[in-house]
Amino acid sequence: MEMEDPPLDDKARRMRDLLSSFYAPDPSMSAGSQPKGASFDNIDTDSFDADQYMNLLVQKANLEGLLQRHVEMAAEIKNLDTDLQMLVYENYNKFISATDAIKRMKSNIVGMESNMEQLLDKIMSVQSRSDGVNTSLFGKREHIEKLHRTRNLLRKVQVFNAIAHPRVVFYGKEQFIYDLPARLGKCIKTEAYADAVRFYTGAMPIFKAYGESSFQDCKRASEEAVVTITKNLQGKLFSDSESIQTRAEAAVLLKQLDFPVDGLKVRLFEKLEQSMGDLQVKIGDIAGALEESNDEHENNLQLGFSVPHDASVREFVEAVRAYRIIFPDSESQLIKLSEDLITKHFLTTEQYMKERVSTATFLRVLRIIWNDVLVIDEVLPEGLLHDYCFKVSQSAVKQYFSSTFSHLLQDVSDALMNVHVKPKDVSEEHHLQVALESGKNSLLKGSMDLLLGLRQLLEDNLDLLVKLRELMTDWVQAGFQQFFEALDTRFLLLSGRNKLSSQGQSPREGLQSEKVICGLVLVLAQLSVFVEQTAIPRITEARTEMAASFSGSGARGYEHGPFFLPAEICRVFRSASEKFLHHYINMRAYRISVLLRKRFTTPNWVKHKEPREVHMFVDLFLQELEAVGNEVKQILSQGIRKHRRSESNGSTTSSLSNPLRDDKLRRSNTQQARSQLLETHLAKLFKQKVEIFTKVEFTRESVVTTIIKLGLKSLQEFVRLQTLNRSGFQQIQLDIQFLRTPLKELAEDEAAIDFLLDEVIVGASDRCLDPTPLEPPILDKLIQAKTAETREQNSSAASSTTQQRL
Amino acid sequence: MQAGSSGVGYGLKYQVHLIRLSADGTELICEGLFSHPNEIWDLRSCPFDQRIFTTVYSTGESYGAAVWQIPELYGQLNSPQLERVALLDAHVSKIKCVLWWPSGRNDKLVSIDEENLFLWSLDSSKKAAQVQSKESAGTMHYLSGGAWDPHDVNSIAATCESSVQFWDLRTMTKTSSIDVSHVRTIDYDTKKDHILVTAEDETGIHIWDLRKTKVPIRELPGHTHWTWAVACNPEYDGLILSGGTDSAVNLWLAPTGSRDEITSDSGQNSLSLKVDPLVNSYTDYEDSVYGLAWSSREPWIFASLSYDGRVVVESVKPYLSRK
Repeated sequence: MEMEDPPLDDKARRMRDLLSSFYAPDPSMSAGSQPKGASFDNIDTDSFDADQYMNLLVQKANLEGLLQRHVEMAAEIKNLDTDLQMLVYENYNKFISATDAIKRMKSNIVGMESNMEQLLDKIMSVQSRSDGVNTSLFGKREHIEKLHRTRNLLRKVQVFNAIAHPRVVFYGKEQFIYDLPARLGKCIKTEAYADAVRFYTGAMPIFKAYGESSFQDCKRASEEAVVTITKNLQGKLFSDSESIQTRAEAAVLLKQLDFPVDGLKVRLFEKLEQSMGDLQVKIGDIAGALEESNDEHENNLQLGFSVPHDASVREFVEAVRAYRIIFPDSESQLIKLSEDLITKHFLTTEQYMKERVSTATFLRVLRIIWNDVLVIDEVLPEGLLHDYCFKVSQSAVKQYFSSTFSHLLQDVSDALMNVHVKPKDVSEEHHLQVALESGKNSLLKGSMDLLLGLRQLLEDNLDLLVKLRELMTDWVQAGFQQFFEALDTRFLLLSGRNKLSSQGQSPREGLQSEKVICGLVLVLAQLSVFVEQTAIPRITEARTEMAASFSGSGARGYEHGPFFLPAEICRVFRSASEKFLHHYINMRAYRISVLLRKRFTTPNWVKHKEPREVHMFVDLFLQELEAVGNEVKQILSQGIRKHRRSESNGSTTSSLSNPLRDDKLRRSNTQQARSQLLETHLAKLFKQKVEIFTKVEFTRESVVTTIIKLGLKSLQEFVRLQTLNRSGFQQIQLDIQFLRTPLKELAEDEAAIDFLLDEVIVGASDRCLDPTPLEPPILDKLIQAKTAETREQNSSAASSTTQQRL
Repeated sequence: MQAGSSGVGYGLKYQVHLIRLSADGTELICEGLFSHPNEIWDLRSCPFDQRIFTTVYSTGESYGAAVWQIPELYGQLNSPQLERVALLDAHVSKIKCVLWWPSGRNDKLVSIDEENLFLWSLDSSKKAAQVQSKESAGTMHYLSGGAWDPHDVNSIAATCESSVQFWDLRTMTKTSSIDVSHVRTIDYDTKKDHILVTAEDETGIHIWDLRKTKVPIRELPGHTHWTWAVACNPEYDGLILSGGTDSAVNLWLAPTGSRDEITSDSGQNSLSLKVDPLVNSYTDYEDSVYGLAWSSREPWIFASLSYDGRVVVESVKPYLSRK
């Protein structure tokens, strides 16, 4: 029943109506008897219960009623069945027709697709056509708009020009602008650049404002013209042939054209600098030429050489002047340039001063520079070039002094180094003396020259120098102080004391140079003394003298003590001289000690053979001493001696001293040798301690004596390190005995020498297994033999050396 | 304080003196006098046992070295015999010295003769010494002395005619050398590693830094004649004692400072060089001074021995305040 509900067609409705009409009395009835009747009466409700209905029916009705009821119901059921069947059939019919319709639709749709595609194509083509139309129209529309705008602008421009440039209006508004390129071209042809620039600048605001749009072509053309103009103007600016006026005008015009004038300025400036460079070289030339020139022609030549220089300076000044006019705001730059020029001048001078420059030349160079400065100063009064020049020249003058001092230092050390270079030139005996003298000379002469130079500089009345006077005196004083300090260091360097390893070098290669260095050290010692005692006082004196003559400037310098302290320098050199002397002595003593070391470490002293002659080390020892004597003789002065022969008859001393020694020997002969030894021991106990190492003085004797003492002391120490047999002891006794005489001749302190020689013998006897001294007669004989041999050798050696020298 | 001193060859009887400095430091007392069979050339006392010492002796032609022990004294002063602990008898050439390691107990000894270097191992209980290793210094070098690095038990410095050589005892090879001639004595600075002081005959005293052996870091003028002995103070930095053949003992104060101070600050260096490094010179000796020793217990006291056989004990206390 419910199935029939949804299709609400007429038949169903009719059926429903039928059914409901059939059941209509029941609900009205049941409405009255709700609690009971509703439940069994209404067959159409959901809550219909068949059993209950049956029960009710059975209870209520009788058989007839029941049968009647049954018939009714059967009829109803039959009706319902047919209705149902009808409905089903109708439904089926509808279904079939629907299926047919669908089938038809399907066939129809297949054809429609192609139709739709066709439609799409058509719509597309329509659209593209409409776009084409649109675009073709757009360009024209733009143009029309633009034209419209221009028209409006022109209207405005007309008004503007009428106010700003009455002349331009004369040509008419558009006309002027459009004619501009041609106009400019005409101007270029006639070189009426000023007009051209005026036109262009007049049109400039228009171009600036609207050049992008309306006057593009005009603008381009006129710009090209202007480029030509600027080019021409630049050419004008740089050409030296044009008058300054024209050039200045050109610059002004260029500036008006908004041309980057700075670039031009720089270029022009570079040109100036270049010309300055030319000037520079000339300074060097002049200086060089001056240097070469002889004294007689100096003045003429000076004039001659300064002409080109003056010309170039003048040129430079002219250029500077022009530049100033062209670029009025360029003073600072120009000042800087001129300052550079001055600096470079001085730099060249300083460069030049590295070589030796005489004061006169230096003065002249200064004068030239000063003249230049004066000339430039006229053009550039704001520059205060005077002051700048002072500043720069200070350092130059200062350097001049310092270089002079360093040359002086070099001279002195060169003079000393000549000892190394040419010891053969001069005879061997004198080369040290020569070195000393040349050292002294160069030192003294150099310092005097320097003071003279200073004086020359002070006396000169060049403005520049007048102002520098005080400073110069100070510098020279400070220079002297530094010079002497440097000299001290140089001396130390020359002496080789600073090089600690110098002592350790192998004796073979160092032999020659060492020998020379020994002498050199002595020279240095004496030179130091000379500096202390002569040079410094002389310099001080000269300085004071000068201070007196220039009371205005020099006095101040003199009071201004700390620059130059003669006392301090003296002290330094005094200690230096002592140091060098000690060094010399040490070097010499070292050589002797090496000699002795060889002597004492080589033989086997325990198995020494009987002494036959004086050992040859004695000769070597004496040779060394002779060399010392030689060097000392050249350099040092003779001291005051108590009882000595003069140096001149030194050659005869050996024979002369013979009786002396014999006398001594005879005295020793009288005593028993053994007891003599004992005596020496005892004597030593009671004798006052002999001061062996006394202060060294700057005399020949003192130095020689000290070296001998050191040598003997070394001898003593070497002896103490050995163990001797009797023969060894006797050998030493013999050697020492032989040494006694010559050594005492050489040395001034006989007591100390005696003591030391005795000490050697005592030491030897201490170290001897059997200290029996040599018999005096044998001793005497051997010594005499040796003396004779020595004399012979000396004479032959002397002759051979003279031959060699020839 | 104890110090051994050798009476070298006055007469034919050779003796070893045992000297004690009295407690108040004003008196020297001779505690024992022992005869020694030969002439003594070198004597070193053992750093860890004060009764043991070594000598190098000479019998005129031949040389010998031995380790000795001082016998118990029991009050008597007359010369009892020394007990010989060991004989160092492997040498053939001239023995120069026997070294103990200065910084502590070490049963090794090094003996140096002219040509060879010997490393001995000493067994004092068995009274024997064995050669552990030996190396020749090369025929061209005559060794003359040496010192044992207190900072390195394996390093020895030996002096020869023209240089100071450094030996590694483990491999017995020469490690480096300093070119300096005629060194009499060398002494290591016990406080500072790498610092070595040499005393040369003519050129005075040089202080070396072993890390740069080309140039000495300091030079002291030494003595008027040869500088024979040199000794660094075990306690005070830069305090150096030197004895020379000019019959003087010089006390120097030459602080080596840190290395930078010396190299970089040359200005200050030159200034400090101007300050005289010589603190004092003890000149009341009759003859050359050959022996020097600082007290190990009171480092401001030193003993010196001169040729005439005098031992002088001085205190440097008055000069220490100047530091």
